[in-house]
Amino acid sequence: MDRRTFIALSAVAVMGLTLAPTLQPAFGSTPRLEEELQKRLGVRLAQIKEVGEVKLTAPTIAESGANVPITVESDIPIDRVEHLWVFVDKNPVPWIADVKLTPMNGQVYFSTRIKMGETSNVRAILKLKDGSYVMATKEVKVTAGGCG
Amino acid sequence: MAVGAGILRVPKEAKKGEVVRVQMVITHPMSPPRKDPATGQEVPPHTLTKLELFYNNRLVSTVNMGAGISANPFMAIALKVEESGVVRIAYEDNKGGKWDRTAEIKVT
Repeated sequence: MDRRTFIALSAVAVMGLTLAPTLQPAFGSTPRLEEELQKRLGVRLAQIKEVGEVKLTAPTIAESGANVPITVESDIPIDRVEHLWVFVDKNPVPWIADVKLTPMNGQVYFSTRIKMGETSNVRAILKLKDGSYVMATKEVKVTAGGCG
Repeated sequence: MAVGAGILRVPKEAKKGEVVRVQMVITHPMSPPRKDPATGQEVPPHTLTKLELFYNNRLVSTVNMGAGISANPFMAIALKVEESGVVRIAYEDNKGGKWDRTAEIKVT
């Protein structure tokens, strides 16, 4: 191998390494989650944009998976938001709850307590009036599962 | 407390146009479908499925839920109040149970 081919090859290799992570499913989604999203929202996870305007508050470490408090808030005006979902990637049923919102809510705010079987990502997804989806993701470490 | 008993809490007074938090706690097992470890038989799920929030008989929000919500669910939702009125939640489970609770808000 002469120097020219070596440089060309290493350029390709470096490019492959930098691009490879972006080709994988975003944030390690699970088949169950994808199936559930397809069924309930009709989109794939990769089509949902992660934005800072959606705020998901949840503990970093939950002692018991049976009772994990979560709060979803958003600065997006209520008349631009249609629906809200909460998903946990690795639960036997990833879908937790969904809320239909109207302008009478005044603000995007939903707080509840959920079950988690194991350490997983929690996702809050909003459907906007223009048909697009936005979300916030947070990983919650669970030391004792709370399912079944 | 019996299954389906609920507590609905809202501020007694609010200013016109204020966004208040409607909080609720409902007594319910929220059990997922599972196998009884002793007999190996399937135990059907028993969960709340739907909760509707009304203000002065106008539908504000509908919450759909499953066994992913913790037992004895706690929930809080925002509500913008423009005039005095009655907050009502109506909820039901997969075994045909139906309940509702009301609370009043005075707008000053």
